Amino acid sequence: MTAAGRARRIRGAVAARPRLWLAVTLGFPVVYYLVMFIALVTRFQAWPNYTVTYDWLGNVAEIIRATPSLSDIGTIIAQEWLFEVGRMNYDFGNGISEWSLNINPAKVLVVCLLGGLVATLTTLVAGRRAQCSSARLGGAGAAGGLGAALVAMTNVTLAWVVCCATPSWVVGLAILGLGVSSSLWLEQFGWWIEYAGFVLLLASLYVLSGDAKAAANTNETPYPKSAMGAPQ
Amino acid sequence: MLRHVTQGLALGALLAVTAAAPAQAKTIKVAIGHQSMCTDTYTAGIVVKELKLLEKHLPKTGKYKDVDYDISWADYSSGGPITNQMMANKLNIGVMGDYPLIVNGAKFQATDSLRTYYVAGTGYNLKGSGNAIVVPVKSDLYKIGDLEGKEVSTPVGSAAWGMLLKAAQDNNIKFQLKNQSPAVGAANIAAGKIDAHSDFCPWSEIMEFRGTGRKIYDGSEAGVPYLHGVVVRKDLADDYPEVVQAFIKAVYDAGKWIKEDPIRATDLMEKWTGVEKEVLYIYFSKGGHLSLDPTIKPAWTEALKFDHTVLVKEKAIPPLDFGDWITEKYIRAAYKDMGVDYDKDKAAVVDPVEANAGLPNEIWHARDGIKAYATLPEFLGAIAKFRATGAKINSTYVYDKETGLKLFGKTAFWVVTPKGEFATFLRRGEAEKYAGTIDGKVITFEDAIGMKSS
Repeated sequence: MTAAGRARRIRGAVAARPRLWLAVTLGFPVVYYLVMFIALVTRFQAWPNYTVTYDWLGNVAEIIRATPSLSDIGTIIAQEWLFEVGRMNYDFGNGISEWSLNINPAKVLVVCLLGGLVATLTTLVAGRRAQCSSARLGGAGAAGGLGAALVAMTNVTLAWVVCCATPSWVVGLAILGLGVSSSLWLEQFGWWIEYAGFVLLLASLYVLSGDAKAAANTNETPYPKSAMGAPQ
Repeated sequence: MLRHVTQGLALGALLAVTAAAPAQAKTIKVAIGHQSMCTDTYTAGIVVKELKLLEKHLPKTGKYKDVDYDISWADYSSGGPITNQMMANKLNIGVMGDYPLIVNGAKFQATDSLRTYYVAGTGYNLKGSGNAIVVPVKSDLYKIGDLEGKEVSTPVGSAAWGMLLKAAQDNNIKFQLKNQSPAVGAANIAAGKIDAHSDFCPWSEIMEFRGTGRKIYDGSEAGVPYLHGVVVRKDLADDYPEVVQAFIKAVYDAGKWIKEDPIRATDLMEKWTGVEKEVLYIYFSKGGHLSLDPTIKPAWTEALKFDHTVLVKEKAIPPLDFGDWITEKYIRAAYKDMGVDYDKDKAAVVDPVEANAGLPNEIWHARDGIKAYATLPEFLGAIAKFRATGAKINSTYVYDKETGLKLFGKTAFWVVTPKGEFATFLRRGEAEKYAGTIDGKVITFEDAIGMKSS
């Protein structure tokens, strides 16, 4: 099947369920950040006690002004925060920020893109239930789910003072209980994990947008069955 | 046609107004990221800020004649975020500990167009004191070997984490490493929820002073100097080298101000940071953990190179060209301006064992301030006397016979000799060993005071 044909099929699946697609696309980032927030509150058994809003646009302008290399500009802007909510511990000194959830527009964009891909996959699965085998649906769905999980994991924007010199996505893993050494070891593979996640998602879309196998290989019954499954 | 005339007039008016307007003064941004909960950064952080020492030294002549300075300070819990803010040019000067410094240099060198320079130190401890491993005060763990298989927490990525890794390697022990912030670690030590916690300055002493924790391993045992320093963005340093020199002069002045009167300094620093002055005194007093000296010694470069190898082993940190990163250009110029002999200061190294030999023991009397006592019997007798009158004692200070390290009297292990003389130790093992050689006895601080009460 041609790429154009696959694209048409994907567009058709989305067009058939626009509300579902929109709900998943818009809902995914909201749920994603909510889950992160709930995970923090649950993990540390405490509510946040401070918020900070950053001048993201002003900071981006300053980065562009002060950074000679275009490739550096992108990398640095990608780390800029817009909003921070967290917990300050005032037991010592003037207080020390223990943990926080940060809203980073660059990461939000990635999460929105991820939401769109998950929504597309969801509508495609729903639309092709009748044509695809359960193995194919299940396999592609599982691969897509794993891909989404990998991308989501590498776009976590949590900060924790214990990760003093390593404010990165692995902070989320450390907070969630993965061993320190394992977290730090994984850090170097962040980009690869994210790419692998997107590849899995796109591969799932590719598989599901292809031609269905013959009916013999599907769960579609060519004739009615009795309640016990015997041919009538 | 009318429209063109109007536009022409408007443009002419705009040009006239622009030409008539006074020249805008140039503004130089100096934005410093510091850490008010890390004692070793104070001479480049909170002291410079509060005493306005940078303002005092900023150049105001020549090309700086009509310059306005936009000075801002941002306080952080750790060095990592300072590096991120420096990347975005929201900060152009950062003050941090050894491991975060290395990450800073390496991260900047990993970019195409940005760099930082390591331009000055703030202070150091030659042997590595400042980092320590603490156990709950009632714990039955007394030495690093006792941590085998136990749960030990540390702020990963910090200087204390590096020390902990080296301590484990040196002593060939394995423990369950937990990732905990200083505040959480201190709280867990207080609650007895963790076997041990390794942390940077001044957390161990905070725990000791508050009576919740006891040191079982001091960073000096790792034998790697503990140092903090100043990194600046290359663009600031290249465009305005005199501003960087001014900052270094401010760091030097801050150290001088502390040395002039440590009691005044710690009293004010407590107000500025919220860290108890009695804890700060163990760092900043004569004989304290910290040698205030911004010079860049060869040993510091070696220590930082060693720290980099630890980081490379533990996590994927970019390579760091130390030759490009560390520069003495600015500090030498600053010293020259101040008329201070840089090479002389650079050559001087404070070893607590030698420097603290013969220093008096001290009592911080709540009303009368610090009182010094040449011998331990006099010191103990004075405490007994104060207690008898109900006088309040804030804190007491003695020295470890083994390392020369300043200790709180109440956390030291005391040895009494058969002749009734005393010696104090950081670790119980060394106290027992010494007691064995002189037929003495290891006793508690309270026992020692009791022996001098009449």
